[in-house]
Amino acid sequence: MATTALHPAAPAVRGGLYEWLTTTDHKKIGMLYLVNSLVFFALGGILALVVRLELAQPGMQFIDEAFYNQAFTMHASFMLFLFIIPILAGFGNYAVPLQIGAPDMAFPRINALSFWLLPLGGALMASGFLASGGAAASGWTEYPPLSGPAYHGTGTDLWIMGLVLIGTSSILGAINFLVTIFRMRAPGMTLFRMPILSWTVLVTSVLVLMSTPVLTSALIMLFIDRNYGGHFFDPANGGNAVLYQNVFWFYSHPAVYIMVLPAMGIISEVLPVFSRKPLFGYKAFVFATVGIGALGFSVWAHHMFTTGQVFLPFFALMTFLIAVPTGVKMFNWIATLWRGKLVFSTPLLFAFGFLTMFLIGGLNGAFSAAVPVDFALHDTYWVVAHLHYVLFGGSVFGVFAGIYYWFPKMTGRMLNETLGKLQFVLMFVGFNMTFFPMHQLGLMGMPRRIADYASTAGWTELNTLATIGGFTIGLSMVPFLWNVMVSLRNGRIAGDDPWEGNTLEWATSSPPPPYNFDHLPEIRSERPVFDARHGRTATH
Amino acid sequence: MTSDAAALTTHGETHDATEHGAAGLGNPVLGMLLFITSEVMFFAGLFAAYFSIRASYQELVNGQLVHLWPPAQFADTLKALPFVITTSEGHTVLNVILPATLILIASSFTCQLGVNAIKRDDRTGFLRNFGVTLVLGILFLLLQAYDYTVLFGEGMGLGSTTFGTTYFTLTGFHGAHVFGGALMLAVVVYRGMAGQFSARHHDMVEATSLYWHFVDIVWILLFSVLYLLPGVKA
Amino acid sequence: MSLPPRSRASSGPLIAGTLIVVVIGIAIVALLAAGITPQRAWESFFPVGGQPVVTDRAHATRSLYDVVFYIAAAIFLLVEGLIIFTAIRYRRKPGDEELPPQIHGNNLIEIIWTVIPLGIVLFLFVISWQTLNTVDAKAATGDVHVRAVAARFQWKFDYLDGPDGPNAKVVYEQLLPVGDDGGLVLPVGSPVHITLTSPDVIHAFYVPKFLFKRDVVPGKLNNFDFTVDTPGTYRGQCAELCGEFHGSMLFEVHALPQADFDAWMAAAVKKAQQSPPPPPSGAPAGSGAPAPSGAPAGSGAPAGQAVQEAAHNIAFVNQNLSAPANTPFAIEFDNQDAGQPHNIEIKDAGGAVKFKGDLVIGPAKATYDVPALPAGTYPFVCTVHSNMTGTITVQ
Repeated sequence: MATTALHPAAPAVRGGLYEWLTTTDHKKIGMLYLVNSLVFFALGGILALVVRLELAQPGMQFIDEAFYNQAFTMHASFMLFLFIIPILAGFGNYAVPLQIGAPDMAFPRINALSFWLLPLGGALMASGFLASGGAAASGWTEYPPLSGPAYHGTGTDLWIMGLVLIGTSSILGAINFLVTIFRMRAPGMTLFRMPILSWTVLVTSVLVLMSTPVLTSALIMLFIDRNYGGHFFDPANGGNAVLYQNVFWFYSHPAVYIMVLPAMGIISEVLPVFSRKPLFGYKAFVFATVGIGALGFSVWAHHMFTTGQVFLPFFALMTFLIAVPTGVKMFNWIATLWRGKLVFSTPLLFAFGFLTMFLIGGLNGAFSAAVPVDFALHDTYWVVAHLHYVLFGGSVFGVFAGIYYWFPKMTGRMLNETLGKLQFVLMFVGFNMTFFPMHQLGLMGMPRRIADYASTAGWTELNTLATIGGFTIGLSMVPFLWNVMVSLRNGRIAGDDPWEGNTLEWATSSPPPPYNFDHLPEIRSERPVFDARHGRTATH
Repeated sequence: MTSDAAALTTHGETHDATEHGAAGLGNPVLGMLLFITSEVMFFAGLFAAYFSIRASYQELVNGQLVHLWPPAQFADTLKALPFVITTSEGHTVLNVILPATLILIASSFTCQLGVNAIKRDDRTGFLRNFGVTLVLGILFLLLQAYDYTVLFGEGMGLGSTTFGTTYFTLTGFHGAHVFGGALMLAVVVYRGMAGQFSARHHDMVEATSLYWHFVDIVWILLFSVLYLLPGVKA
Repeated sequence: MSLPPRSRASSGPLIAGTLIVVVIGIAIVALLAAGITPQRAWESFFPVGGQPVVTDRAHATRSLYDVVFYIAAAIFLLVEGLIIFTAIRYRRKPGDEELPPQIHGNNLIEIIWTVIPLGIVLFLFVISWQTLNTVDAKAATGDVHVRAVAARFQWKFDYLDGPDGPNAKVVYEQLLPVGDDGGLVLPVGSPVHITLTSPDVIHAFYVPKFLFKRDVVPGKLNNFDFTVDTPGTYRGQCAELCGEFHGSMLFEVHALPQADFDAWMAAAVKKAQQSPPPPPSGAPAGSGAPAPSGAPAGSGAPAGQAVQEAAHNIAFVNQNLSAPANTPFAIEFDNQDAGQPHNIEIKDAGGAVKFKGDLVIGPAKATYDVPALPAGTYPFVCTVHSNMTGTITVQ
């Protein structure tokens, strides 16, 4: 690895504003993705706190019902479309070419376009707050007829246009990932030697490619209904309101896997490195990922069990089945830790947070797969608990594991471990305080998306608790931001390979030079850097 | 750094195609195939909506809700489809859709001839065929525009029942894709006149032709579904 | 290969783990202090806080919930136990530079942990399907047919003379979704058929104690059957976002013994047969001689000016009214919303109803005679639309 010291002061995170605005380097674009996503994470988080503040006590104290609906709609839209999906694409952008030993993405300029569509789409979406009638307010699902022209104004149109741009960004990004992975792997990097993160990005890209255009078609039909007198979803004129839900969820259920598979990939990078063992059952893990992706296309209607318009047994069966590959992953992760020598740095802590929270998010999802139980729990706070355990407890903890893991590679400096652990504890405690009580609220019968509830309903204490938890999560961002600020300037110098990593990104300098590598180690397994350090341990 | 970025672009888009995958598809061609996959899914969404709406369309006929298609108000206008339209004044107007369909199918052949020509390094043949393809594409768009004006004249629009909504959305988005394809053809012709393509370097030509074939196939499907699939009478 | 972050890292989990344990401990103490017993905490893991559910279908759903819950809880304890065990047992000791055994996998164990979960989910699927057949089953008998109409932001329950369809006749229209003289009144012990329709957006019929909800989809007719088995009043609510006041789209189910239900039904039908719509209560008797506006004529009219109020777009036009204290007064109420039922219901600060006007279906006017009220501030609402509020100051 001596060859990697050729760039002692590689300026990958320096450079002027012009350089950042015009870059086509996948590493810089990846970092732009991360920063942009974190900005929308902050905006979405503030909206979440507004919602929590209003729900802490019965009665309308701070905002009115109309703004409440805008707040939770835009919270979800920012978090799903402008935070989770893009930040995972950002990790993919940064890490995939490095992990497969490529100099860059296949289409660097399209890569830049994919990124720049995001802030544009996000700004369009957010500008709804300035429109008369406010931003989109029919929930992130925007079910018609409620999202139709009779009930909501320009904000919804801006939401649609923004989301079409974001979807286009995803599609272009997916094409780029697929061509990169299929065509630009380094010699020796066969598909079954690819790091798991690259595999999850591959499967995710297929999901994006197949499902996001369908969302675009749903949005365009909605836009035509809203603005040009169309009747696709207008029951008063022969349209079909449930049709939108079918088309929408054909995208949005695979989208759930788009939002969680790369986070699983990050965890699958972190666990082997910090337990100093290979990933247990690499091939089983790959097959499970592919299986989740394939089954992901046949479960969309489990979001629609209560519509009375879908064939329940089929979708229930598929939904149950998808638990199997997910369970395989969970067991493989635990087997990876088993008899390892765990090094509890911050990335591993977040990975443990992921395992615990995702376990709960998987199990409480099984309740909704049992259709009659779903009749009781659908659209209650139970579902809010479920989706946050998967997407926050799962994906967001995975994202922070990734940030702590790759920050040294991206910047050349380590993040502070003490602040990282403080952030983890605050986030873990705050998260569970916020979302665990929502199971109970849902079981008691509190529907989601209500601005207010009666003081006699018996929901006040748990809502107050959830609000305190929400602000604890908000507080956990303080040590994080402080950590990033301080470490960017004064963090300990990382060196090429601070964690004793397995994959190729640790075989180049930190930050890597343009085109990534001057020399690649021999690739004979999914852990080329480990092999270079210790010799190979088993055939693959 | 900008020169780095430019160098990187070249590196990523062309060198790697030849370095790693001389035997397989070029990166732009693979990228275009994947893009077409996404476009297929986009049209699949629209088609799914069309069939769902068509199957559930009901109208009051003699006090009974019955399923029919197209709606009664357009049944007379569209009776003789696909070849002529009877307007409300009783005139018959040539429906231009069949000639337009033939033109688009023909353009797919000329497009492929162009690709074959550039593979033989026959730049003139390539330019001639792509030029013809572009002209045929524009002609198709003009015919479609004429078709729209006739139908608008009959009072049919996006808001005329779900029939109008689906008809104009499907054909309109296809038209937009033809327009996009024509722009790509124009760029290829322009670059071809500058001598940028050869038997070795013609990934963009191939990608454009794939897209044009895709647009053509979507139209054949649309034509079959919108014009040839028999309607349901009350 | 010894690197700084490694050698310093082993205290990390201890600190984090201790902190988390401390926080959980504090949480438990706080819960106990708030009067939440272990019993209550345990029951909170079950639907409606472990309270009994009240329909035949709900019992089936509850049994299914219990099976899923115990399986999920067992899996959680097992897997979470393994996760915590690895975190404690396999921490790297400081200075331990040796690599752990490099195990790449084991096909047999992969098959085992694929097949066992597969068996579990197939079992869950089969029992869910069986329960679904119970929950979705059509009741063969039963002559209570109700069409629930959900519109922004109100519920209406039409009692039909037979199965819902083009020829079904409404025998009684229940406009009040809540209250002692409103709500969805149902008999105990006999099957009920409900159909759902909406004139505007998607709503959902949801009664927590039925463990059931079904979307109200405009343009589609959803229906379901059930039998209530316990008399009582049960809270219901719209469960599909339908706009600003989605959260206040409440209703109640009043389950009565069969005899009481029959009596209620007979009275309701009789009431409906008397010249609909019912005349507003206490309308001034001075018919024939049109009263000059603002000065109600006729004998017995209270002294002083009538209070003016109007309803427009599901809101009161004047949200602050004033009236004289300790003397009866009149409210002239103008409902401008076509097809919408509104009224004025005056409460005292404690929530007790002081006056409740009859519903007026707009566009129409009514005059309400309000009894004498002591000085003070009284909130008023529309009984149908709990988000339509205002206050009346009596001085």
